[in-house]
Amino acid sequence: MNDKYVIEIKKRSWVEWLLWAGWLVAEIAILQMAMASGAELEPRAAAIFWVTFFVLLIGGVIVWYMRRSK
Amino acid sequence: MSNQGKSKLTRRDFLRAMGLGLGAAAIGVAAKPLGNTPLNGNPSFEARRLTDPAGRPQRPWWVKTVDKPTIEIDWDMMKRYNEGYKAELGTGTVRGEGFKAYVGEEKDTELNAKSAAVLKDGILNNVPGYTLKDQALNGAQGSRVPMSFVGPQKAKTPEERGVPKWTGTPEEGSRFLRAAFRHMGAATVGFVELDENTKKLIYSFDPDGKELVFTDDPEPSETETTRFIPNTAKSVLVYTVQMSEETMKRSPTPLGQQTTGLAYKRHTVIQASMQEFLRGMGFMGMASSNINAFGIAPAFGVLAGLGEMSRLNRMITPEFGPMVRCFIILTDMPVAFDKPIDAGVMEFCKRCKKCAEACATGALSFDDDPTWEIRGPWNNPGHKAYFEDSTKCMTYWREVGTNCGICFSVCPFAKKDKAWIHEWVKATASAAPVMDGFMRSMDDAFGYGAQKDCEEWWTLDLPEYGTDSSGMIW
Repeated sequence: MNDKYVIEIKKRSWVEWLLWAGWLVAEIAILQMAMASGAELEPRAAAIFWVTFFVLLIGGVIVWYMRRSK
Repeated sequence: MSNQGKSKLTRRDFLRAMGLGLGAAAIGVAAKPLGNTPLNGNPSFEARRLTDPAGRPQRPWWVKTVDKPTIEIDWDMMKRYNEGYKAELGTGTVRGEGFKAYVGEEKDTELNAKSAAVLKDGILNNVPGYTLKDQALNGAQGSRVPMSFVGPQKAKTPEERGVPKWTGTPEEGSRFLRAAFRHMGAATVGFVELDENTKKLIYSFDPDGKELVFTDDPEPSETETTRFIPNTAKSVLVYTVQMSEETMKRSPTPLGQQTTGLAYKRHTVIQASMQEFLRGMGFMGMASSNINAFGIAPAFGVLAGLGEMSRLNRMITPEFGPMVRCFIILTDMPVAFDKPIDAGVMEFCKRCKKCAEACATGALSFDDDPTWEIRGPWNNPGHKAYFEDSTKCMTYWREVGTNCGICFSVCPFAKKDKAWIHEWVKATASAAPVMDGFMRSMDDAFGYGAQKDCEEWWTLDLPEYGTDSSGMIW
């Protein structure tokens, strides 16, 4: 009987960190534009930016979760 | 030696903290426009120290200073324009008597009756934008500070104070004037030298029929028929006054029109105040004796680098798009002159055509490139432009009982500049004109330029004058 467990920890590559940084910057920009479009009284532009923001946010969360549980 | 009990920051923790910090910063920055409402602090106050000796504000990198404007000018072909229509010449402005001459007296009478009927019907039937409150607001913009060629002439001169007139460098003069103009309410300010070429941009006749004559007299003067301009006045002070983009989006209605009236009204205050400021410094200040008088202000605006000529055949500024009115004052005070700019506006206009498509009467040009060919005697030849059919435009004004402004409100440069995207689009238009067509399509897709509900306007808490200078990018 084998009573040993092997835990493998994979380090994230710098490329992945760069992609996450890009994702964060895009989210910041889109959030600004969504909120500012509301302040500009441009409802269609605001709606497009909000949808984009949430799609990107949910996508990011899903990818993060999937990679975390690997 | 043990490390137990000591906190050790791992790379993971560090990156996580960075992420949280950036996220918090992003929310703070993004939330700024929401906090920028009139009920939450002063939205217009964003002071910067002007470091340029002549007080020129720092403009973004994509607004390039150039030696010649982005439209071609043939000064030999250009003549001084007659802003008071002269029947014997058959040329001149399309306003007033000019319109009657171009369309015929019968048509003019018919359109006047139509205009009056539309306005009355609007009140009786509560047509949005035409209700009594809309027309009352529009009518209220008609009360203006009296305008005159030489100003109120009430401020104390240096002579009356027993002191010499101001002396200093042209740069210092420019800086003082810019600060004063901005304080009085001007949006942007620039200066042009009045030489033998630019003199052609001063009208030959004012709208009231008085001739404008250059003279060697030391002081400006006025008779029943003529206004005399001393040749010693070499400095043209050009300034813009903002219009409310949010209000103009309700055009063509009396409600939409009144932002134009308000800009003119504010201009009368600025003009009189600056004429008095110049007098107080010991200089002359000559300007419009009535609305749309004295000279072709947008042309001076283009030469002063305040904006570029466009498909509207009006000036579009990098800061406020077409949402400005432009004015001039002529003085003998020495100033440092400015240069034209290239911000990619004219190139964008070549591909965009949104204003021409939106124009209800087809008065604007669909040509791909500007041309030397004028559309009628109301246009002033001598420069390449997208000349408009002014009679079509003015006929539509009469049909709807008010001025129009659709072309201004749909322009992709007419934005409030709170969202970062607008700055990026403008920068791209300047640096990569190949993207102009795509950006025009995106402008439509995002719903910019759509006409808005007139009744909603009365529920909005807009900033002073319906404009917001905090969106200024310089």
